[in-house]
Amino acid sequence: MRLRRRRHALSRSATVLALMVATSISAVGAGVLGTTPASASSTTGVTAKQITIGATVPLTGPAASGYSEIAPAMDAVFNWVNAHGGVYGRKIKYIYLDDEYNPAKTATLTRQLVLQDHIFADVGSLGTPTQLSVQKYLNSQKIPQLFIESGCNCWSNKRYPYSFGWEPPYTVEGKLLGNYVKQHFAGKKVGFLYQDTTFGQDVMKGAKLEIPKSSVVSEQNYNVTTLAGPLTTQMSALKAAGAQVVVMGTIPAATALAMLPAFAIGYTPQYVIDSVGADAPTVGPLLAAFTAAGGGSAATAKATAGLLNGVITDAYLPPEGLGSNPWVVVTKKLLAKYAPTVWKKDGLNGNTEYGVALAYTFVQALKAAGKNLTRAGLMKALEKKGHSLTTAGLVPLSYSASVHYGYEGGEVVEFSSSAPPVVTPTGRWPGDKVLTPVEVTTPGSGPVRKYKGRISVPPAFVKRSD
Amino acid sequence: MGLFLNTVLNGVSEGMVFAAIALGLVLVNRATGIVNFSQGAMGMMTTFVAYSLLSGGIGYWPAFVVALAAGFFLGAAVELIFIRPLQGKSPLNPVIVTIGLLVVLEGIAGSIWGVTSRGFPPAFSQRGLRIGSTRVAFSTFDLFIVAAVIVLMAVMIAVFRWTDVGLRMRGAAFSPEVARLLGVRVGRMFTLGWALAATAGALAGLLAAPISSFGPYYMDLNLVYGFTAAVLGGLLSPVGALVGGLVTGLCISLVGGYLGGNLEPLGALALLLAVLMARPQGLFGSAKARRI
Repeated sequence: MRLRRRRHALSRSATVLALMVATSISAVGAGVLGTTPASASSTTGVTAKQITIGATVPLTGPAASGYSEIAPAMDAVFNWVNAHGGVYGRKIKYIYLDDEYNPAKTATLTRQLVLQDHIFADVGSLGTPTQLSVQKYLNSQKIPQLFIESGCNCWSNKRYPYSFGWEPPYTVEGKLLGNYVKQHFAGKKVGFLYQDTTFGQDVMKGAKLEIPKSSVVSEQNYNVTTLAGPLTTQMSALKAAGAQVVVMGTIPAATALAMLPAFAIGYTPQYVIDSVGADAPTVGPLLAAFTAAGGGSAATAKATAGLLNGVITDAYLPPEGLGSNPWVVVTKKLLAKYAPTVWKKDGLNGNTEYGVALAYTFVQALKAAGKNLTRAGLMKALEKKGHSLTTAGLVPLSYSASVHYGYEGGEVVEFSSSAPPVVTPTGRWPGDKVLTPVEVTTPGSGPVRKYKGRISVPPAFVKRSD
Repeated sequence: MGLFLNTVLNGVSEGMVFAAIALGLVLVNRATGIVNFSQGAMGMMTTFVAYSLLSGGIGYWPAFVVALAAGFFLGAAVELIFIRPLQGKSPLNPVIVTIGLLVVLEGIAGSIWGVTSRGFPPAFSQRGLRIGSTRVAFSTFDLFIVAAVIVLMAVMIAVFRWTDVGLRMRGAAFSPEVARLLGVRVGRMFTLGWALAATAGALAGLLAAPISSFGPYYMDLNLVYGFTAAVLGGLLSPVGALVGGLVTGLCISLVGGYLGGNLEPLGALALLLAVLMARPQGLFGSAKARRI
């Protein structure tokens, strides 16, 4: 690792040198010949034939679990677009680098993308701490930081006009879930379990805006950097406090590490879990394998696997379990044909669906920005036309000049299955039951309202996706 | 009361896993005077071997034995290939090499088996035992953990104290030259020490996997806490490693249960600081004479 890093450093300085030489030569050339290239090539990363974009994502390291599938899934959309001539004749080249969810690496690799790969925009980079570490840099270089894979409440910030979130702010998800708990579990004792980072705190902030303080009996958290063993103490504390409903702002691994010890001590509250931690195809196999083999009896294996049954969560994309949903159908087709490796390995799950939906949003944004693609033009298009883009989201994107959050709404769903739940390492999971109509709200103290607009369907040409 | 009981029980089973790692560290340190930072990663590798066998439909116990054997050979190989050439050089060299090995092993595991975390089956049920009408946070598998680690410690003590091989190993580590003069094949003793330590590491890996999100990195934090336990116990004493593990586990669990889960690592750090300030040689270490 050390060696590799040094090589990067070397090649980077070599590139900078080459760049300097190249610019001075071209400046001379331009002066002599008196011709400056026309507008098309004046935008970095954009030629008549190609758009180069980049991202930093965890492909290895503790955070890579599941998340490493997103960027390869995005390529399904880009490959499909490229196979059909690109956007306005430009093919999309997507370079994603492994930052291991380490902000220090993100900073280095993002500069590499900018200085060496000359990306037009940073698209679909993952993580709150990681992307915060480059937000200032990218904005100072006026490089779009688009569709950040994080629901941090921090992407909509006037000081950083080139940053756009994509998924709902965690607070919005927390509010949707909190509102459901308030309405359907009135009078029950509520406990919280959250990751002690912006992510978990924001989910709780939203939940607390809706759930009356008097019904909250216990608040537990965990440290994600030291998440190794089961969260036995936290679940014991929630049980001791008598919490009947447990609202969780957890990552998938933590969800499993919380549900298992709870099950072991005979504690089965109603779980209400933020969409991040309720990715059934990721959590299910974790739960099942704990008891599937070895000394665990078949009955125990079935019971732990069945823990997911009845879990309440939120969705802002069509739930993957709804096989008949047109977006789900299209996503499956795209993955199977244009990202066969991903499809074979991971199939359709929360992460691959997410990648396809995000990449599709970017393609729509490019189209909205028009033939003469510039960074400023793309920003303007997102702010002006962002909310009218057709995307897989249940609600439209809420982009405007002042709002750079993505989806500000979704629906509350329950994992349920009338048949015995099947959760296997190959990724089958209980079906989803939709509990509420699609709702919208803001990250602030505004109410949760019913969404009145129409639910998007994929355009005809996407449906074919051949 | 329920909370206290569960917190303590959880601390005991977690602490025993730390103790297993600490025992491996102590073994290497005693046999070769080196602190092995790749102790956890080596256990991770052998647990992945067991995982592959289990996925291939082989039963738990055969896989368990194969993993332990794999640990034995991995330890011997590491000593012969990487550690032996460093003999007689700066004591910093093995530190760097074992840290490097940690990174390399995790990289290899990641490229072979993928970086996603997954479940690993336990030897026995993880369902909490029933006391009266309630289930407590202590399962048959936790019992197995406790028993396995105590047996491991007892075997270690017995080998070091009462066997000829143990005596030769101690001698080789304490003063290689003198031992050599006395006819001890020092190199072979070093190899054996590493092989046994890696076997202990393999056991630790198998015990930790079902209660972690098993993947290439699951032993990292366990190693940190195992290291804490070993240092608490004085880095040379098997009993110290066990007690150190228990104290670390209980401390972390109690801090988590009563002060907040986010403070667990701080609890371990505070414990380490407190012990090292009061007894720099560790709870079970004997003070060394210092030259001034």
